[in-house]
Amino acid sequence: MLPIKKTPPKTNLSDLTVLIYGQSKFGKSTWCAQAENALFLATEAGLNNLEVFQIPITNWEEMLVACKEIAEGNHSFKTIVIDTIDNAFRMCAEHLCQKFKIEHESDLGYGKGYALINNEFQRVLNKLTLLPYGLFLVSHSQEREIETRTGKLTRIVPTLPDKARKTVLGMVDMILFCDLEVKVGNDGKSTTRRVIRTKPNPHYEAGDRTGRLPETIELHYQSFLKAWNTPGKPSNTAPAASITNL
Amino acid sequence: MKERMISTYSMWNLFRNCRKAFAWRYLNQLVPLEHDRNLTLGSLIHKGLEHWHRTRELGATLELLDRALIHRTHDPDQHRDWQLARAMLQGYAARYPQEDFTILALEKTFQGKIINPSTGAASRSFTLAGKVDGLVRLGGEFFLLEHKTASVIDSSYLEKLWTDFQIILYSYYLEQSLDLPIAGVIYNILVKARLQQGPGETEAEFEARRVELLAKSKTGITTAKRKVAETNEAFQERLAAKYADPSMFHRETIYLSRDQFTTLRTELWELTQAYLDARRRGVWYQNTSYCFHYGRPCPYFAICRSGGSSNVIENLYERRAPHEELQDGLATENVPIF
Repeated sequence: MLPIKKTPPKTNLSDLTVLIYGQSKFGKSTWCAQAENALFLATEAGLNNLEVFQIPITNWEEMLVACKEIAEGNHSFKTIVIDTIDNAFRMCAEHLCQKFKIEHESDLGYGKGYALINNEFQRVLNKLTLLPYGLFLVSHSQEREIETRTGKLTRIVPTLPDKARKTVLGMVDMILFCDLEVKVGNDGKSTTRRVIRTKPNPHYEAGDRTGRLPETIELHYQSFLKAWNTPGKPSNTAPAASITNL
Repeated sequence: MKERMISTYSMWNLFRNCRKAFAWRYLNQLVPLEHDRNLTLGSLIHKGLEHWHRTRELGATLELLDRALIHRTHDPDQHRDWQLARAMLQGYAARYPQEDFTILALEKTFQGKIINPSTGAASRSFTLAGKVDGLVRLGGEFFLLEHKTASVIDSSYLEKLWTDFQIILYSYYLEQSLDLPIAGVIYNILVKARLQQGPGETEAEFEARRVELLAKSKTGITTAKRKVAETNEAFQERLAAKYADPSMFHRETIYLSRDQFTTLRTELWELTQAYLDARRRGVWYQNTSYCFHYGRPCPYFAICRSGGSSNVIENLYERRAPHEELQDGLATENVPIF
């Protein structure tokens, strides 16, 4: 029962849980569509121009049924994309409200409704992350003003509600923020390109627990794969300060 | 010789409540990126009370608030804090125009040895430091003055004051460092009014309300008018009326026994030994009963739930040196600024 060797770090993309977020129509779904044998659990419209395998999801029951079928393993999909996770969370909330015959989660009192929704949402995501498939969660971005000890700060964060966001951030291996990078050339003209940011910053949420990715990657799946498959490449940022092993 | 580690009440209290949370704060030096607004108002009131007791000049004290909340004209949170703090301090000054105690010191910092009660020897690992809101003399006796803001003062709130580990600790150490017998504590409690400035209603909200009233009306008419937002002046008046009520302020005097000091010394020493043992073994276990203390999640709940995910740490927390409560005190108190 006890392990006889250490588990190696994850090197297969199909083992990873990834949150990718950014503005609407930025290319997040297109990026996910290029993942190996991707299956979309489409909780919102927007995949019309993409040739992908998809299951339209309109409510939480459909989501659970789809997850069950995926877990049974009688398919060749290797990456599950929930597009968007925001809508999945909303469906989860609606499902619980219907189940308890309430209009809003606050109607249950003492925060019980919120807790039930978060627990159900986390339960399903946890089960999905334990499956032998990559899990890509797509979210939109929003600006949020947060009050720090030194003043207010505007930060770009995924559009999930606060508690759900914290749950998802703690669950994923990578938080990829889709952004526009502006560069001024020698001729003084500025050019923009769509990029993925992978390291945390005071102005947006991002992260890479694997430590394999550079700080910025072009928003192109092949560029991402190339960066992923070049282990040991020094990161563009200093490594995070050491954390005491608790 | 190795320098002794400075410890504080907050540190030992967190260690006692949850060793895991203690490790996040004091070993990894993490604090949540988002600051609790309630703490902002509390520290603002503390600063205001310190200024008031030091100068007894209400105008200057209110100016201090103005300077502390310079973005109040366009920041609704600051505006709300400013209105409430202003009304609280104005009400406080009116409630206590004269004090029956004499202020001896304000925001007084102290640092002392932690003693092994069995041998009388000082700890080679730790010292204890802290800062008290005030030291006062009342009828020939010395008391700590402790300011508190509370949402409500009920029996459980008042009874809990007797078990305040922090105050017994501070009293003991102040007594040791100043060589003054501390008779007890005067808790100076200010209640936070729950009043909210009336926001008014939009045209659409008014229309919806009017339609609803018309539907209920037997005559088919209604005299309802659109609610306009409450002016700052009107809200200040309402707050002032609230703080004219003496029950919004309360002073509770508690006498401390020498037995409490003896118990405290023993408990504090035990905590130091438990800490050294945990450090030696590298084990900082989580007290899951503390995760939702006071009905809200512990500031480190997000990290614990994620199993210490670096994504959570790097996005939701920042590094801050421990013992922030001692800042503006120990290091600079007796040092000339030039």
